[in-house]
Amino acid sequence: MEAKHTLPIQRSGPRQLSSIGASASLSSSFPIHATALEETHPRFSEPPALSLERELMQHPPAVVSSFSSNNGAVGNIFSSSSGFSTDLHFSSIQQQQEKHSRQLPFVSQSANSGKSVQLLHSVDSQLLQSTASSHFIKENNDSWCTDTLPDFLDIPMSTTIQSSQLYGSNNSGITIPHEDLGKSNDWQDWADQLLTDNDALTADWSELLGDASVTDPEPKYSQQCNSISNQQTQIPQQLPSTPGEICTGGAQSSSNAAPGKQRMRWTPELHDTFVEAVNKLGGSERATPKGVLKLMKVEGLTIYHVKSHLQKYRTARYKPETTEESSDRKSAYIEDLSSLDLKTGIQITDALRLQMEVQKQLHEQLEIQRNLQLQIEEQGKYLQMMFEKQRKSGRDLFKGAPSSSENALKELRDVQNSLAGDSSALEASTSKKPGQTSQMAGEKQKTPEGVPSSPPPKRTKVDE
Amino acid sequence: MKFGKRLKQQTEESLPEWRDKYLSYKKLKKLVKLISSAPPTLSRSSLHCGGRAEAEFVYLLNAEIDKFNAFFMEQEEDFVIRHKELPQRIKNVMEKWGPNGSEASETEFKEQMAKIRKDIVNFHGEMILLMNYSNINYTGLAKILKKYDKRTGGVLRLPFIQRVLQQPFFTTDLISKLVKECESTIESAFPRWEREEEVVAVPGDGIFRNTVAALMTMREMRRGSSTYSHFSLPPLNMADIDVIQSLRVVAPIQIP
Repeated sequence: MEAKHTLPIQRSGPRQLSSIGASASLSSSFPIHATALEETHPRFSEPPALSLERELMQHPPAVVSSFSSNNGAVGNIFSSSSGFSTDLHFSSIQQQQEKHSRQLPFVSQSANSGKSVQLLHSVDSQLLQSTASSHFIKENNDSWCTDTLPDFLDIPMSTTIQSSQLYGSNNSGITIPHEDLGKSNDWQDWADQLLTDNDALTADWSELLGDASVTDPEPKYSQQCNSISNQQTQIPQQLPSTPGEICTGGAQSSSNAAPGKQRMRWTPELHDTFVEAVNKLGGSERATPKGVLKLMKVEGLTIYHVKSHLQKYRTARYKPETTEESSDRKSAYIEDLSSLDLKTGIQITDALRLQMEVQKQLHEQLEIQRNLQLQIEEQGKYLQMMFEKQRKSGRDLFKGAPSSSENALKELRDVQNSLAGDSSALEASTSKKPGQTSQMAGEKQKTPEGVPSSPPPKRTKVDE
Repeated sequence: MKFGKRLKQQTEESLPEWRDKYLSYKKLKKLVKLISSAPPTLSRSSLHCGGRAEAEFVYLLNAEIDKFNAFFMEQEEDFVIRHKELPQRIKNVMEKWGPNGSEASETEFKEQMAKIRKDIVNFHGEMILLMNYSNINYTGLAKILKKYDKRTGGVLRLPFIQRVLQQPFFTTDLISKLVKECESTIESAFPRWEREEEVVAVPGDGIFRNTVAALMTMREMRRGSSTYSHFSLPPLNMADIDVIQSLRVVAPIQIP
């Protein structure tokens, strides 16, 4: 039963956290304790069996145990529901820190380290007691054989967005990539291993909690952690150019229910590693998935990933022309190559050139639009903050703290001005009509002074 | 409804296997209507049908995001694999049939290069269409969330959209990079030739057509709306938009 292995959470979780109202979804900047969800937002896309886990997931912080598939050490379980908790931010935490004992061990891994387990400090330090952990472990063993994917996952909301994120998915989505490369993600075997290596388990947990320095579990952790962390190296604004295998993993999100069916985000670097491995093994035809996987030595990569990638690679290489053609044909638009004879080469060239032009235009516009959207959201976020501040200052006013409220209001005005300035700059760059610019700025000025308690601001009608 | 219509148009014009990968905007809208029809005070109660609709709404949203992510990453993977293949093909052709090649043959060379050129331009187009896909879905999500908040007085939008911004399907930097690489490959491999005649180019079918359609849709969607706010995008600023619009000729002529 899921209830068991979520014991530590249960002790404090739902009861404590359910009282904390919160918005339905989490953003990376939310503190953990504010993200408890109400009843109306049950799990999404998860089998019923995992409802409790889901709930717990929604009531962070949850205990995350890391289990490795192989040696019975604990591996990482991450719930990857794209519901509320898909954003995992990994921060590096030193294991030796004594804080661990009072904090929620959350096994994660920074994008670059790859070797050590890092624990994420939970905001709410009350939740996990070290005594609970052993109980926890025991409970786990019992339950894990029968459970599918326990995902009492903590959704730490650190602000280090850049590090890594696990992209959520439909299933209770836990990646448990296996270090044993030939093996498929077989839960049963996995669970068996857990049972057999109980001592190792305990040892791992002790280490997690900052007790004896057990170096053994580290590699085991890393392998699992990697599955999460390296995939999470999403490609924000800069592409990871680090050659480390871990970083190139990209983000994972599971496609569908089955465990282990996590999607890997293939970056060019990772692909290059793949190609290298394939070439070493004698080419795409001769290379086997298992061999490639072994050679690549990318933690978190499963044989499934390699298999499907290899297949795609083979198709792409062997019949490059047919591939391209089939990609056109995929759209059911069969282009008649024999008509090549009827048209002169130059006409075709021109047509292609025109096509390129249009495509480039679209690309440019997409980039611009995307940037605008990002900026808009930034501003929206900022405005929201300001609302909060103003509301707070309003309350302070009642409590007789005029100076703070004045400051807050002043800040608010400053922000509004700067926002208005930004937005006009924004609009100018996209050649808006000047009338609209001032109107928008005016609107911005208006709304925060309006009714702050009703976010989002009302949309005013604008005459064009 | 304008967006819904535009989205539908875009979906229909897109490559067949993409069609069911777009946002289920209509469905989500229906849910929002359902939620807002329930009394607002009870809308959060799970016991009330409004609450159920709301839960379903969020559920569907997340499912959609998963769908986008899965599709996007799959396509992206394909592109990552292919992006090196084309330069490689060019290299091979050069080495074999090129001027200094082992079997230098101008006709063969030209023929092969023409094929590659077509393929690479289409490859370029596909990547851009994927970016467009990403963008349209994002826009749809933003809109539907806005509607939701407006109708129900909720605060779902902001945190949700913040999360969306970090999803794989929206982080298109890699694709953008590949596109630029592709462009430079094209520039270097296919130097510009003089335009001999005015080409009455008709997109016909396939990728080109989709690209034109995408641009048109984008322009329409940004044409200013009655509910303008600081969350709205300004109108499209594009010099050649009229020229491109004229490309949408009714009778398609195939461009091989």
